[in-house]
Amino acid sequence: MTNKKRFALLVPIIAMLLLAAACSSPETGTAPRTKLKGETVPISIIANLHTPTVPSDRIEKIMEEATGTQLNIQWVPDGSYEERVNAAVATETLPQAVFLKNSASLMQFRGAIRDGQFWEIGPLLDEFPNLARLSDEVLRNTSVDGRIYSLYQERPLSRQGIIYRADWAERLGLSAPSSLDKLYEMLERFTNGDPDGNGRKDTIGLADRSDLVYGAFKTIASYFGVPNGWEEEGGKLKPEFMFPEYVAAMNFVRKLHQEGLVNEDFPVMGKADQQELFIQGKAGVYIGSLSDVVSLHAKLTKNNPDAKLDMHNRVTGPEGERVWSTPGYGAVVLFPKSAIPDDKRLMEVLAFFDKLMEPELANMLNWGIPGEHYELIDGKVVQSPDYERLNKESRPYLSMQVGGPGSIPGFLEAGSTLPVRLKSEKLVKDNESILVHDPTAALDSATFNDIGERLQDIITDATYHYMIGMMTEKEFGAEVERWKKEGGDRIIREFNEALSKQRKAL
Amino acid sequence: MKEATAKTAPAFALKKSKSRAGQIWKDRTLYLMILPGLLFFLIFKYVPMGGLLIAFQDYKPYEGITGSEWVGFAHFERLFQDPEFFMILGNTLILFVMNLVFFFPVPILLALMLNEVRHSFFKRFVQTIVYIPHFMSWVIIVSISFIMLSMDRGMINELLSWMGFEKINFLMSNEWFRPMYVLQIIWREAGWGTIIYLAAMAAIDPQLYEAARMDGAGRMRQIWHITLPSIRSVIIILLILKIGDVLELGFEHIFLLLNAMNREVAEIFDTYVYTAGLKQGQYSFSTAVGFFKSLVGLLLIMGANKLAKKAGEEGVY
Repeated sequence: MTNKKRFALLVPIIAMLLLAAACSSPETGTAPRTKLKGETVPISIIANLHTPTVPSDRIEKIMEEATGTQLNIQWVPDGSYEERVNAAVATETLPQAVFLKNSASLMQFRGAIRDGQFWEIGPLLDEFPNLARLSDEVLRNTSVDGRIYSLYQERPLSRQGIIYRADWAERLGLSAPSSLDKLYEMLERFTNGDPDGNGRKDTIGLADRSDLVYGAFKTIASYFGVPNGWEEEGGKLKPEFMFPEYVAAMNFVRKLHQEGLVNEDFPVMGKADQQELFIQGKAGVYIGSLSDVVSLHAKLTKNNPDAKLDMHNRVTGPEGERVWSTPGYGAVVLFPKSAIPDDKRLMEVLAFFDKLMEPELANMLNWGIPGEHYELIDGKVVQSPDYERLNKESRPYLSMQVGGPGSIPGFLEAGSTLPVRLKSEKLVKDNESILVHDPTAALDSATFNDIGERLQDIITDATYHYMIGMMTEKEFGAEVERWKKEGGDRIIREFNEALSKQRKAL
Repeated sequence: MKEATAKTAPAFALKKSKSRAGQIWKDRTLYLMILPGLLFFLIFKYVPMGGLLIAFQDYKPYEGITGSEWVGFAHFERLFQDPEFFMILGNTLILFVMNLVFFFPVPILLALMLNEVRHSFFKRFVQTIVYIPHFMSWVIIVSISFIMLSMDRGMINELLSWMGFEKINFLMSNEWFRPMYVLQIIWREAGWGTIIYLAAMAAIDPQLYEAARMDGAGRMRQIWHITLPSIRSVIIILLILKIGDVLELGFEHIFLLLNAMNREVAEIFDTYVYTAGLKQGQYSFSTAVGFFKSLVGLLLIMGANKLAKKAGEEGVY
């Protein structure tokens, strides 16, 4: 009995000795991932700060405790974030985890990644239960030469859809625009059928703006079967505007413009003015981000309490129901070799991010501390109205999130009593089954990086000129030829080479 | 230490009257006064010029200026070979000439008119009114124009159609872009530009006017023979400075006006740097374009200065 008791005493003592040994010489550990309780792993992170001040360290303390780490977070204001990261790269003072703001920043880092300055993490992800749930599709979009170097923050794949005046549709006896013909009919009737019943012809169908991507055009184009940026045809990638569907989509908008079913100025109109047309009850259809319905609804019903909005996302076109997709990620995290000397440390850093994807922590990063920053009502999050406090304590941690609702089971959703909001969220989710991906999201073309943006202007300008009837189809074709001649041919070649390289790597 | 100072002090005192160092020492307080300005130019204008090196490199932020590869004139070649280079150069120069011809005289005329106003309250009232637009950002000026010129219920187009004319699509046309640009500049800057001229006019000796009146010169004669010649050197200096700014047409202003429909006439170097360079993270190329732009500006200012000197004026240097 006494022996047993003595033994029971010995166990914690030995454990403590072992722990002390492990702490004093972290490099000599034999089993890298079996961490002893109480040991803290130092982790340094550089993250993007969207709020005016650095957050209080309450959530940081909770994170440290929950993950057994000691965090050193460098908060850098959004405006100078990229400069700071570049400076840290140049002076080799990067921390162990580097958040990059978006896909554009990631693209700029491709050179450094190829250079071998960051750890490849793709093959390791399956060893972590939560990181393994990150979507392969999205990870592939973040990859460089087919290899995965980063974790990502989830973004909805497609928010695109049609928002329309349900009260107008009802008055004119129109149903939801579930096909291109019905969409046209709605736009036509909304223009010529006096939908507001004031006896005057003072309305138009569509309110659009000077944005071919997030405005109406790209979404209408995907209804017409236009690829999302690029598509393989006969085993070769081609840009969207070389497909006949692109011309068909342009013809549709051209017809709308000719018949006055869309605001005449749309190629020069800004987003605020476009929304104003809708809010003032001059236009009845808005094609773009479904999430805009919340603010549109609030402002519209203030002007006209009888106005009703509805949404639709599945529009049948010649190739069925489809909608274009974003790459599905926002910020990404990279792991520099300069700060993480070996595999063992890398595994520790990844283990930290794996823990961040556990529901409790993920919800805390996203919503804050329950009971303080939000309340759960019927299992849904209702945020505290104290915006200032949220900004000071919880919202900055949003930029440390990894994954998102699609990869974290138990991720809390925002509760809302607003039916339009619920419906828009439902449709955004529904879009996931009809997505069209951009095959070049993870492909690299030196020419595209150099002059792609510039060349795209040729196509953008030509598309607008064509749609408002200032250009013939032949002239549009000539502009496409110009695009090819001035570098487009090289882009096509390089993307195709990159694609075959990627296929080999995967 | 003490010995050393003791030794140098007399030597210094001996030289004091002759050497340049001694003279500087004598006027040290004056030199101290220009020191902040000197430091400003050194730190914020000259030292950063070292960054121009990246125009000749393939600059990568993570390799820094020291680590990036040298590429010689590759970026300049790319600029000159860009099929749109001459279009952009042409647009920049045309807008500059229009700016010079149509905008530059406006503040002078306005200042002359204000100078003739004898009622001081009215004069100050008008001055304040014409200064105000200067303090509004381009975003506001452009937005107001946009609202007035829009095809959908824009004030000016409504007026045109009410008077029986056809509506004009100002915002989407190539022909209207340049007049619109110049008019907006006049709107925003004409009042502000009068300040220096008014100051110069205030310094004119009133006796000259009295003498002229005695000789029977009317108002117009006085303006022509006294006011204008008196502010001539100010006009010339401002003109030279303006020419030096030849390619500074205002990124913000043009960028706000630029759209897919008028790019052919509205794309200038500044907007080109933005889309072709900065937006794609190409710092070296952007620097090269900026460098080229500055060189053109320098050449023009030197030419203008020379012309001014030939005409018997002082010039800026």
